[in-house]
Amino acid sequence: MKNLLRELRAEHGWSQAHLAELLDVSRQTVIAIENGKYDPSLPLAFAISRIFQQPIEAIFTPDQEPA
Amino acid sequence: MNNMRSEMRHEKRVTRTYHRELFGAIALYTLLLVAAIRFGRPMEEGVLRTLVLVSPMIGFGAAIWAIVRHLARVDEFIRKQLTENVALAAAITAGLTFTYGFLETAGYPKLSMFTVWCVLCGTFGIVQVIRKLTGK
Repeated sequence: MKNLLRELRAEHGWSQAHLAELLDVSRQTVIAIENGKYDPSLPLAFAISRIFQQPIEAIFTPDQEPA
Repeated sequence: MNNMRSEMRHEKRVTRTYHRELFGAIALYTLLLVAAIRFGRPMEEGVLRTLVLVSPMIGFGAAIWAIVRHLARVDEFIRKQLTENVALAAAITAGLTFTYGFLETAGYPKLSMFTVWCVLCGTFGIVQVIRKLTGK
């Protein structure tokens, strides 16, 4: 799963630690999501979507779109 | 500075609570262990002596409770990493101890079952460090 988390965070001028605090997760988790090493659960994806006020599908896109 | 302090709140809060509960459990274990050695050993054989000698396991149970609570408190990614690391460590430990079983047949000294516990803890630590360093 690809995502725009790093770009959106940069737009807001937030550090990884600050975003982690807003999401109530560890900084390691934010780093893993940004690097594409971890796909968040639905509740966490919704929390990210709420914070950036964008729909989930605008932030996360599958590596390969279904045919 | 205040911002930095608040940014670390989640990880610090989780770690502090875990350490408080875990070290509390270890302190209880140590206290009961000392009491079991001091008072349990000289007691006469019987159910009461057995109960006193096994009482440090109450502290051990409290440590398990602290670990379970910690797993419930950490976020989903950390929980996934921790459980994967435990699974990997258990698999490696199984491999090592199984291998040593063959070595015992070949004449290596018989080791206490307690050794498995030390191997598991050591392997878990090594797995944690390697995965952290490699980012895998």
